[in-house]
Amino acid sequence: MLSYADRLRAMRKTKIVHTFEKKKQNGHTDLDDFGTVPVTPEYDVDPWYNSSNGSFYGYDGMSENFCRVIDAHEPYVDPMEMLCGRWRDMLINYRGDIHFMPDWLKEKKKNTEFLASITDQWAKSWDEQRFPYDELKPLQEKYNIQTGIDSDAHFACDYRIGFELGFGGFLDKIEKYRKINPDKSAFYDAEEKVVRAIIRFVDRHIDEIKRMIPEENRPEIKENLEEMLKTCEAVRLGAPKTLREACQWTAFFNCASRIYTRDGAGFQLDTLLLPFYENDVKNGILDDETAKFLIANLLLIDPHYYQISGIDENDRDMTSHLSYLILDAADSLNIACNLTVRVHENCDRKFLRRAVYYLLKNKNGWPRFCNDKALAEGYMRTGADKKTARERIAVGCNWMAVPGKEFPMNDVVKINIAKVLDESLKDMKNEENKSTERLFEIYNAHLKKAVEVTAAGINLHLDHQWEVTPELVMNLMMHNTLERGEDISRCAELYTVGIDGAGLAVVADSFGALKARVENEGVLTWDQVYDALENNFDNERVRLILNSAPKYCQGGTVSDEWAKKLTESWVSTVRGQKMPEGRQLVPGWFSWARTIEYGSKVGATPNGRRAGEPISHGANPNPRFRVDGAPTAQSCGIASVQCGYGNTAPLQIEFDPCVAADENGIDIIERFIIAHFEQGGTLININVLDGDTLARAHENPELYPDLVVRVTGFTAYFATLSPQFRQLVVERFLHGV
Amino acid sequence: MTGLISDIQRASLHDGYGIRTTVFFKGCPLSCSWCHNPECIDTKPQMLFYPEKCIGCGMCDEGCYAGAKVVCGKEMTAEEVLSEVSRDISYYSGGGGVTFSGGEPFMQADFLRECIALCKNAGIGCAAETSMIYFNEDIFRSLDFVMTDFKILDSDTHKKHTGVLNEVIKENFVRLNTLGIPIIARTPVIPEIDQKIDKISEFLQSLDNVVKYELLPYHPLGKAKAAALGIDTVHFTTPTKEQMKELNKYAFIR
Repeated sequence: MLSYADRLRAMRKTKIVHTFEKKKQNGHTDLDDFGTVPVTPEYDVDPWYNSSNGSFYGYDGMSENFCRVIDAHEPYVDPMEMLCGRWRDMLINYRGDIHFMPDWLKEKKKNTEFLASITDQWAKSWDEQRFPYDELKPLQEKYNIQTGIDSDAHFACDYRIGFELGFGGFLDKIEKYRKINPDKSAFYDAEEKVVRAIIRFVDRHIDEIKRMIPEENRPEIKENLEEMLKTCEAVRLGAPKTLREACQWTAFFNCASRIYTRDGAGFQLDTLLLPFYENDVKNGILDDETAKFLIANLLLIDPHYYQISGIDENDRDMTSHLSYLILDAADSLNIACNLTVRVHENCDRKFLRRAVYYLLKNKNGWPRFCNDKALAEGYMRTGADKKTARERIAVGCNWMAVPGKEFPMNDVVKINIAKVLDESLKDMKNEENKSTERLFEIYNAHLKKAVEVTAAGINLHLDHQWEVTPELVMNLMMHNTLERGEDISRCAELYTVGIDGAGLAVVADSFGALKARVENEGVLTWDQVYDALENNFDNERVRLILNSAPKYCQGGTVSDEWAKKLTESWVSTVRGQKMPEGRQLVPGWFSWARTIEYGSKVGATPNGRRAGEPISHGANPNPRFRVDGAPTAQSCGIASVQCGYGNTAPLQIEFDPCVAADENGIDIIERFIIAHFEQGGTLININVLDGDTLARAHENPELYPDLVVRVTGFTAYFATLSPQFRQLVVERFLHGV
Repeated sequence: MTGLISDIQRASLHDGYGIRTTVFFKGCPLSCSWCHNPECIDTKPQMLFYPEKCIGCGMCDEGCYAGAKVVCGKEMTAEEVLSEVSRDISYYSGGGGVTFSGGEPFMQADFLRECIALCKNAGIGCAAETSMIYFNEDIFRSLDFVMTDFKILDSDTHKKHTGVLNEVIKENFVRLNTLGIPIIARTPVIPEIDQKIDKISEFLQSLDNVVKYELLPYHPLGKAKAAALGIDTVHFTTPTKEQMKELNKYAFIR
């Protein structure tokens, strides 16, 4: 008889097979694993285009193509698992933009022909024919802005709505409000079409399980399939009633939202599942081993960002027995996993220590940790009340959102401040009296323009997203949407729009190097610096003079001071930007995984970085910022550049503390986390890695198929990353500890 | 007053308790042939030269920025030491703090005393890592714990490899034991030397305040620094895992 442990082993093995098959199909992907399974040879989609530019938009375009893509998905049932359903492909892959197309899709003959036939110059993700923004493009390019125009998702559903209604309840709700808002029929038609397609997806799984049951000879697995069938039949229309049903319902909804535009975010996993767990235990139908196995199954289906633990509006710790079971479940599976533990003053220390234990024991980059105090108090400074601030949970790489209520466009809008510096240096070149103060003045003027044009892009996007990429799946679990017949991009309660700066360390170290070497020490002249920048440091000595200047995160250096000054300027410029219709901008520091791309746009910088080299990661220091690589120094530095309005400047750290997963090791890492948060840090994306393993895996990734690293906020299989990206992770590793 | 400091390292996680900052004092009366901090032996500032980092710019006199020529040894006041140590004050609770190491910190006893006083006044826990060649009771009494080596049992062999006999060291162990200060004792394991670790362990077990006896495998990290100083080094091998496993039966924690 197969035990849960046997089945978990089989599931992990299948996962590795899928990971390598996906790598064959998609090439290197510097992305989250997303829980996809490989496409099958039979898989085929025939998209419908409703725009002359070779794409599809709006309620009809998105709902029709969602149906076509989800209907093409074969069911996924693994008899080892308790839950079924996976996703393989998403509809925006068919928008005709070759840049976003996976390799396997490009190779399909009809796509090659279709793409060759399009001569249109328009971008395909955003409908530029109807909503052009040519006037914004020059400055967006000048400052290397990731505009957020054409982005979607990056907010959080309120899963309580789904757990209460189920798919059938969604249909009833659509029907109810369709009558109240007869002028919104296009919206309701689209939503209904989406829900019915999800139900068909469930139905195909039901059929597949029915097909498999008679063929299954192992009694315990047959029983599992029979239970799975009952569960699927129950959640086909009905609201989930048991923990298994809640997890299966979540799995189906998440597959659907991923198929839509790879969207969706997790939720407060322990709190929302707790009533189901308690009820099942009370009714004698669930034991803890099964609960753990069930949750491991949910985590396998999709490495969504789920938050656990935390604190409610009445300052009560929310850690429950189920919170522990979730950690244990993640441990039993131990694959790519994006659980975030919310830490606060009165948190259950035993729970925090358990989380740290798993971080040390498995060395697989999970869990990560966020700080309630800095995040909630910061968000309240935007005008939110305490209850709302406490509801705002960690559900993305670097970001938080209030489930159901907030439309923050988090992690999709960024300004490359290294490019802003680049432009500022060019402007100062012909001025007679050069100084770091003058450079900072010019920088601030450019930054203001960059923020203004970014804001204009955000407003354009928010005004028209519903006509381009409405959020048809996630709308089902947002407040006001079905009630008003409007897309969430138009009717959210909170528009605290995130805008991140990227390249902080490059800019801080550049100002610091100029201040130290040119102004304080007089080792170089401004002319020598300009000459070196223009010649991309053909004189290595000049480069080293600048590069060896005191750096950000060394502690108490001139560059540390500049990092704080740059943060003040960033915060005041972003917060000072006027926005219409109750929208406001919220600053953070984050580059996501775009450091290579951003760096390619920036010339040589005065910190000794050559033209085109990657910019620094998020709020992190530049690699090799200290000889001893002290993680505490990095932690202090990053805590000092927090933006203070509830968005993050994450501490991204990879190191090998060489401590065992014992009381002493746990003490050290726990103290490290708490100290960062006491100093105002917001989020710790932490990798405890074995340095030798990392180096060996960089040489021969195929030999380490299950090595997982937290690349930024997300975890990924190291073997699937591109060599260039693996190199960045290796360079971030703190060797001196 | 100033002291000669060779380096200050933050986030030291493996020496003593908690998260610590280690202040390396320059100057040591011992000259262990396996020393992993050979730049801390001499009592004067020294230049280390790493030829592999040299870019051949020919401008050494105007300063080296390539990391090829590095000066070891900086005169610092106790206030400056405190300022650097205080950077990680948030991380020290739960038993962490500062470790005064070297070199031999007791060789600059007055300066050490001043540093400890300032750190303690700032609420920072203090420990020292010493060869135990000196005995300053007042300083020992002001420390949370002491880390110290017992390197070789036989005094002549000790002198051969460290430059000093070990009677004083042994005696100081006994004296320190009477003060009630927790002692973490260590032996660097060098396969080529007959250290008599079993007997060292026996001796240490007779001292009530030795809370831990650790065996640390020799590692060759000091060789690159010795080469950079132009010092000849003796070749030792790193003990195997099996050797360490066998010897670790003599290690203990109380």
